[in-house]
Amino acid sequence: MNWNALLSSLLLFSMAAHADEFSAANALYDAGQFAEAAAAYARIEPKTAAVHFNLGNAHFRLGAVGRAILEYERARQLAPRDPDILANLRFAEERLGVAELNRSPKPLARFWESVTGSRTVRHWAMYEVVALWVTMMLVAGAVWVRRWRTGLVILATMAGVGWGMATAALSYRQWADRHAPRAVVLTSRVEGRFAPLPDATVHFSLTEGTKVVIREDRGPWWLIERADGQQGWIRADAAERVSPK
Amino acid sequence: MKVLAFMSVLLFAAMRAGAAVSVSAAVDQARIAFGESVTFTISVNGTTSGANPVMPRVDGLQIAGPSVNTSVSIVNGQMSQSSQFVYRLTPTRTGEFTIPALDVEVAGRRYRTEPIQLTVAPPGTQPSMENTLFARVRLNAPQVYLGQTAPLDVIVYARANLPVRGLSGFNYEAEGLGFKHLGQIKTGSQTLNGEAFNLFLIEGAISPTRLGTFSFGPAVVQVQVATAKRNRHPFGDTFFDDFFGRTELREMPVTLAPVPIEVLPLPLEGRPADFSGAVGQWNVEVSAKPTEVTVGDPITLTVKITGEGNLDTVPPISLGGLDKFKLYNPTTKTTKNDLNTAGERVFEQVLVPKDATVTELPAVRLTYFDPIAKTYKTAKQGPIPLVVKADTAAPTAIVAAGSTRRPKEQLGQDIVYLKGVCGAPPPVALAGTRTFWLLNLLPVVGLGGALVWKHRQDRLRRDVAYARRSRAARRARRNLARAKDYDQLQRVLQEYLGDRLNIPSTGITASVVEEHRLPDTVRMVFEACDAARFAGATADKAALQRQIEQVIDELERATF
Repeated sequence: MNWNALLSSLLLFSMAAHADEFSAANALYDAGQFAEAAAAYARIEPKTAAVHFNLGNAHFRLGAVGRAILEYERARQLAPRDPDILANLRFAEERLGVAELNRSPKPLARFWESVTGSRTVRHWAMYEVVALWVTMMLVAGAVWVRRWRTGLVILATMAGVGWGMATAALSYRQWADRHAPRAVVLTSRVEGRFAPLPDATVHFSLTEGTKVVIREDRGPWWLIERADGQQGWIRADAAERVSPK
Repeated sequence: MKVLAFMSVLLFAAMRAGAAVSVSAAVDQARIAFGESVTFTISVNGTTSGANPVMPRVDGLQIAGPSVNTSVSIVNGQMSQSSQFVYRLTPTRTGEFTIPALDVEVAGRRYRTEPIQLTVAPPGTQPSMENTLFARVRLNAPQVYLGQTAPLDVIVYARANLPVRGLSGFNYEAEGLGFKHLGQIKTGSQTLNGEAFNLFLIEGAISPTRLGTFSFGPAVVQVQVATAKRNRHPFGDTFFDDFFGRTELREMPVTLAPVPIEVLPLPLEGRPADFSGAVGQWNVEVSAKPTEVTVGDPITLTVKITGEGNLDTVPPISLGGLDKFKLYNPTTKTTKNDLNTAGERVFEQVLVPKDATVTELPAVRLTYFDPIAKTYKTAKQGPIPLVVKADTAAPTAIVAAGSTRRPKEQLGQDIVYLKGVCGAPPPVALAGTRTFWLLNLLPVVGLGGALVWKHRQDRLRRDVAYARRSRAARRARRNLARAKDYDQLQRVLQEYLGDRLNIPSTGITASVVEEHRLPDTVRMVFEACDAARFAGATADKAALQRQIEQVIDELERATF
């Protein structure tokens, strides 16, 4: 039995059942009842990129711009190339003045993040599999068809490079999801401290909407790292993970 | 013709060069130990002929020479020529000596050098490094104004006979002064008190941002001096020592004492109401193009501010009295030197006259503080007369500085509106699942298997022995099952052995056992077949088949 197909069918059925909830939430938003709309979007499961996006918009209208950034980030994880999501995320970050702070100052790191973040993990997995099959078939062709060997070897090399890049991107994304989960600061002023203690020396301050990476989770305290590499301990209730545990 | 032209140039250059003659005298060191010599040089600049200095006798000094060096050079038609009369002075006692002023007659005119003091210390006395290698700070005034950028240079002096190769480090304290300096060191020479020095100039500038009294220094300049590594070369020249690797570079620190600098506020007294904040010495040049236009046509007003001072304090020009003009955002281009002590700032402003009553562009004023004159000044230029004609045709495009400009439209910004479709659910994860690993494993295993199969096929085609050996057992077992009599049974065995050993199968007998060291069971089977075939011995065919099978199994396991 194909369990994946069965699971997908169940999810589709579930979505159809919640399509009405989605439309009702949109109607609440249009009526200017943003708090009710946000609650309605939050109840919809499973959440699609559109649900996260609209939920982010509702939070934005309520003035919770940090939480809006969090929802846009969640939407971006599901649809990394959606221009509406990227535009609203950028706009919300600029509204809070954290657009530059959320980007690594190192050009190479920025490039790598933009490349690996431009596709979902599933996309990278598919690219990896397809590139591997194509590479193997081209190698087989190069072995069997002597006449086209040179061309096939070149194509196989290119496909192999593509496979290597897809594998690297996939491995990085999976590693980052497990070992460097991202979070968004939701309160207006958070202090990053040198130790997970309330009276520890303050190292730096974070503002709402700042994106951080969780390097260590000690329950009520997180050791986080900003995009510029600065690390400090913050209260866990001051931020929320982009991908819930 | 060319020779004549060259001669003319030479003559003209010589005439120009003859105008400026100067005479000077110097010693290479003013303090020496007894037993050493000093070089005394009379330099005549501006001519190479007519000079014949007479060296007076000095009690206690033996004078040898002179040796005369002359040089002539022409650069850009400008001739420079000089003569040097070099004497070697060797003291015959210790003490203070005075080389008197010399009168040197050049082309009928008398020039006089300065007297020079020479100290001869007892033997073994080391010359003081303080007078041999030292540094000084050059600053126009010990007081500077807030916002002023004032040149502050550090000059290292080294006696001409000290083999200095360069500077290797410069550390200083200049808190509150905003000191910065150029990395490139300028070199030159200078005569101090009749003594020749090489100098190394570190060009810098201070730009204080706080009021108060600060100090530049203490500072340390590391000077690289060539010193003898082993015995000096017999020529006694550092050039040969350098060439033969007999010298090594030694770093000698030269210390500068702190120099107090007072930072003053800009005076309130006499400060004009329209003071712009600029500090320095500035000139304003204003131009407008075109000056004859039709209403609606653009005019590019260029304001160029040049001079010396802190260009960062020069603000954008604010133009008043432009109510009858439509204004566009000005562009600014700034060019300044590395120390921000001089430069220019150019403002370009596009203006469009709104009606034909406009007759001029108002004057441009820049009120600044001159820290040298210690007073406020105003640089002003204009007004510029304009001829503006009434608009009788359609408005023209706004063109300035060769490009089409349009006022930038301010667009509203907000978040993108809601999505109307809920969309598909998040797809099931693929990475890490069994399906994913299977999809990864399949092509690798498939390719590996295909390569192995191809390799075997290729070998079967190329290697007949291998091909026969590979299919021997299978073929033998198939024929063994079909064999009906002892002849066929023996043929099966012969064919098997032929394939297995890659020899012709016809004619294989029991002798093959010895030739190929086969097990005795093979001989026994041959003999049993022969007995059944030729001697009519009764034999069990099924048993013989089993024996042949056993032989095949045994030979398949064996390696030979």
